[in-house]
Amino acid sequence: MSRFSNPILYFFVLCLLWFVLIASLGEMVWGTAAPGELHWSEKLFFDLCHQLPDRTYTAGGTMMAVNTRCFGIFFGLAAGWLVLPITGRYTAGNRWPVILLITAITLQIVDYLGNLTELWQNTNHSRAFLGALFGAALSITVSDMFIKSKNINS
Amino acid sequence: MEDEQTTGQSSDSISIGDMLPSASVVGLIFSIVTFAIGLAVGYYQISSEPSGAIFSPSMLSGSVICLISLLGGVLAVWHFVKEVNPYIKLGQGAALGFITGAIMVILTAVYGEVWSFIDPDYTDKLVEATIANVEAMEMPDAQKDAMIDSMASSVRQQNSFLTSILWGIPITGILNLLTGMVGVKIFAKKEDEETF
Repeated sequence: MSRFSNPILYFFVLCLLWFVLIASLGEMVWGTAAPGELHWSEKLFFDLCHQLPDRTYTAGGTMMAVNTRCFGIFFGLAAGWLVLPITGRYTAGNRWPVILLITAITLQIVDYLGNLTELWQNTNHSRAFLGALFGAALSITVSDMFIKSKNINS
Repeated sequence: MEDEQTTGQSSDSISIGDMLPSASVVGLIFSIVTFAIGLAVGYYQISSEPSGAIFSPSMLSGSVICLISLLGGVLAVWHFVKEVNPYIKLGQGAALGFITGAIMVILTAVYGEVWSFIDPDYTDKLVEATIANVEAMEMPDAQKDAMIDSMASSVRQQNSFLTSILWGIPITGILNLLTGMVGVKIFAKKEDEETF
């Protein structure tokens, strides 16, 4: 038998990750910045993301605050964390989450280097997809830490 | 001797004060490494002819610095488990990761401030080099202008002390909070499971 543990930490991190995801939508959700100024959501991410316009999703003249790969990572993290109480039941004691995480990291590096060396050209969608895979794998990897097994002694 | 020190310790006794040495050591090392990489690549870009490549040296270093920064939480937990208490809880690992991320951001901003005294023109030269590189790119003018605005603003803000700290801590902290939990999963010893 198992039960969910650390519920407060789970909900705290869930709120943080969804805040990060919604903030990363930038001008698409939060309105545009004054001319010549960086949007507050772009300031929030400038340490971590290059924010190149042609590598960022746009809609109706507005732009996300992060590039497609970062958006994918944040989406994967938030979505993966949301379903953590379910995935945790299938990850406890298994190695596949760690293998999934290592695979996702390897794919990121290979995709990045392949594009850099012009072996192939990745797209906004492919970067977002691989980012989401990495983000979800990161959430899934820690999911079993939130499931505590009960040993019932008769 | 080390075993004697750690045996019998409980995660309940861990305080923020206990975490600070590990967070500080890892934060100090990582901030020096990331700042040095950023600085080296910055000067390389300043001294190079604009290539027009979309992947400028500073952009590449940004990706590397980002990845290195995320490892801070994991390594802080590793250091804590090794030196302080092997029975760190998940929430404590998360807190340690966040503190480590915050320290990295603060120290990097301090180094930037110190460097602005050593080389006051660094930021301006880096902005000029960044703009020159974008101008050499083959793309529509409107896209080029948007890119120049975005990159120039980013470079300037990265070199502004208070802005770096205020805007840098939340996201770097949150991401290191997550990697801190990964660190607990990998390195921490488990206390006895509850038995009913």
